[in-house]
Amino acid sequence: MQLRPGLLGAAAAAMLGAPEAAPAETTWDVDAATLLYSEFDGRVSGIESRLRGGRELDDIRQLSLGATVDVLVGASPNGALPADAPQTFSRPSGKGDYTTQAGDLPLDDTFQDTRLALDVAYLHTLDVLRAKATGFISAEYDYLSIALGGVIARDFNLRNTTVSLGINVAQDTLDPVGGPPKALSIMPAPGQPTGRTVRTLEKQVHDLLLSLTQVLSAQSLLQVSYSMSHARGYLTDPYKVLSVVDGQGAPLRYAYEGRPDRRLKQAVYAQYKQLTAGANVLDTSARLMRDDWGLQSLTLDVSFRFNFRPDRYLEPHLRWYRQSAADFYRLALFDGEETALRFATSDQRLGRFDAITLGLKYGGRLRSGNDWNIRLEGYTQIAEIAGLSAQAAQALAARAIEPELDAVMLSAGYRFRWTP
Amino acid sequence: MASPCEIWVDGASPDTWPDLAECAYQEAHRIERKWSRYRDDNLIHRINSANGSETEVDEETARLLDYGAVLFEASEGRFDLTSGRLRQAWRFDGRHRLPDPKQIEQLLHHVGWHRVRWQRPILQMPAGMEVDLGGIGKEYAVDRSLALLQAHTDAALLVNYGGDLAANRAPAGDSPWRVGIGDEGQPEGGTPLIRLRNGGIATSGDAHRFIEVDGIRYGHVLDARTGWPPPGAPHSVTVAASTCSQAGSLSTLAMLSGTGAEAFLRDQGVDFHVQRATAGASPG
Repeated sequence: MQLRPGLLGAAAAAMLGAPEAAPAETTWDVDAATLLYSEFDGRVSGIESRLRGGRELDDIRQLSLGATVDVLVGASPNGALPADAPQTFSRPSGKGDYTTQAGDLPLDDTFQDTRLALDVAYLHTLDVLRAKATGFISAEYDYLSIALGGVIARDFNLRNTTVSLGINVAQDTLDPVGGPPKALSIMPAPGQPTGRTVRTLEKQVHDLLLSLTQVLSAQSLLQVSYSMSHARGYLTDPYKVLSVVDGQGAPLRYAYEGRPDRRLKQAVYAQYKQLTAGANVLDTSARLMRDDWGLQSLTLDVSFRFNFRPDRYLEPHLRWYRQSAADFYRLALFDGEETALRFATSDQRLGRFDAITLGLKYGGRLRSGNDWNIRLEGYTQIAEIAGLSAQAAQALAARAIEPELDAVMLSAGYRFRWTP
Repeated sequence: MASPCEIWVDGASPDTWPDLAECAYQEAHRIERKWSRYRDDNLIHRINSANGSETEVDEETARLLDYGAVLFEASEGRFDLTSGRLRQAWRFDGRHRLPDPKQIEQLLHHVGWHRVRWQRPILQMPAGMEVDLGGIGKEYAVDRSLALLQAHTDAALLVNYGGDLAANRAPAGDSPWRVGIGDEGQPEGGTPLIRLRNGGIATSGDAHRFIEVDGIRYGHVLDARTGWPPPGAPHSVTVAASTCSQAGSLSTLAMLSGTGAEAFLRDQGVDFHVQRATAGASPG
């Protein structure tokens, strides 16, 4: 064995380093990311910036803090259908109006939302047990959400099996501009009094998550989970309307939407991860959801992380989503239906559609050990006409009214270590 | 660290002794907790159960891994932070039976620092491999404890963790610390002595950890390339160097040099004592 004298002395000195005063390190792991979102046809665009920092308080305790700011601009569908003539809508405040040209999808440009959210998480590890407490607050100009949660996880079977149970309780308050309209009441003509009183509304959401993670082999991992979410309170979108059409499919008036004040969602989820060729990761998942509003959905997701160099990877991603419509989803109402129904919405998020997301992520690690990534994703939603009465369907038969949505998302992320 | 630990202090008032002992104890305990392979709540456990995925390590661990990488290269693969898996075959409990060579052959598939992707601060190794910092950790704890104590007192100090030790300077009167080399207990007449002013002393090899079959003694320091003790390794090697960490590594590398232990240490220009089956050999 040839060893240059002095080599080990220098190496040992490098290892011993400068004496550290405090054993606990105050280095933060910081994740910074920005997402640009843009819908086609001049609809909503948004930018979201996220900053999250985590640090180990000691060997068993970790703290993380996060902040998110997002800004949305543009206009979103107000729920009414395109028509052969220009359509004029009152603004939610009752003051002022906006007009949509013939043939165009009515978009409400009243709101430019800015949302600020803060979250905190504290993780405590006790041997094979981990307990996590989380807090969350999110505020926008007419909406405030506060949530508290807890997760307890335990490892079994030489840490090859993890079982976790999580609960979360959220309390939301809304202050709709101009006050909340009565369900299925008629939108007053521009300039007419709304007859509404401004008041604060509430909503509570309770979530439960039960999850099992199993290491199947040195290369594969399976996770299955069940979740339940119960919402109670004001679940309606106070700014959305439905077109009430006559026998020719022309709008007679607009009715405000209304939804039940309770919703119970249940979902099962399974995820399988496989390491291939020693470096690449195949990640597949499926999620099945149903709620007591009659809505069911299925999500299939697959991504493949191709580590083509030790410090670079490419990750294509494909997601397919299908959902059925809620019982009270109506693309539009026929004259008189608004007085007979208790609930109705034309919100496409409660309608029937398929959606495909296709994306590509490219990322890597710098010499400093910091990580970066950029991701481009396209989203297309193919909707089917749902929830039309026979009369309404006949009246609208000749029109192209399938709601469509295409969007593109670009995001960039950077992860680094920061010592204050 | 299942060895007796002691701190010698010269020139500090007795009321500071409990604090100094506490300080050293906390540091030794911290290091033990952080890198022990017998725990399942620390970084080593996370690394060893990562199943082929990446683990990010802290700055301090990174320095130990860097040092281990230097030792791997310097020893041409004899010293290896991933050789811990070989313990499954070798049990140095005084039995007179050798392990099955087939088992060692199998285990060697999971040994080899060259299979590890180590790029600060990320460590990634194939599933089934293990990292063990035990071969460095104890001497590191001695050096670290001494450095911490020096920040607390101006006294002359000697930290001794189970025979691996380090001192900052000679006690008052300028006569060096006299360190006896032997199995355990107080040195008796005729015990070789190493005189130490500052620096570290470490010993590799242990009188109680070997297997003897057909008159051949197999010590517990294993060559990671073969999975077997190097032929002709001494019973024990004691080295004095400027730090306990350096002394510990030199004594281990000397053991791994087998019959060439003495020549290796002479080239390094350090004080040493090599004990073989029949007689001790010293540099003169």
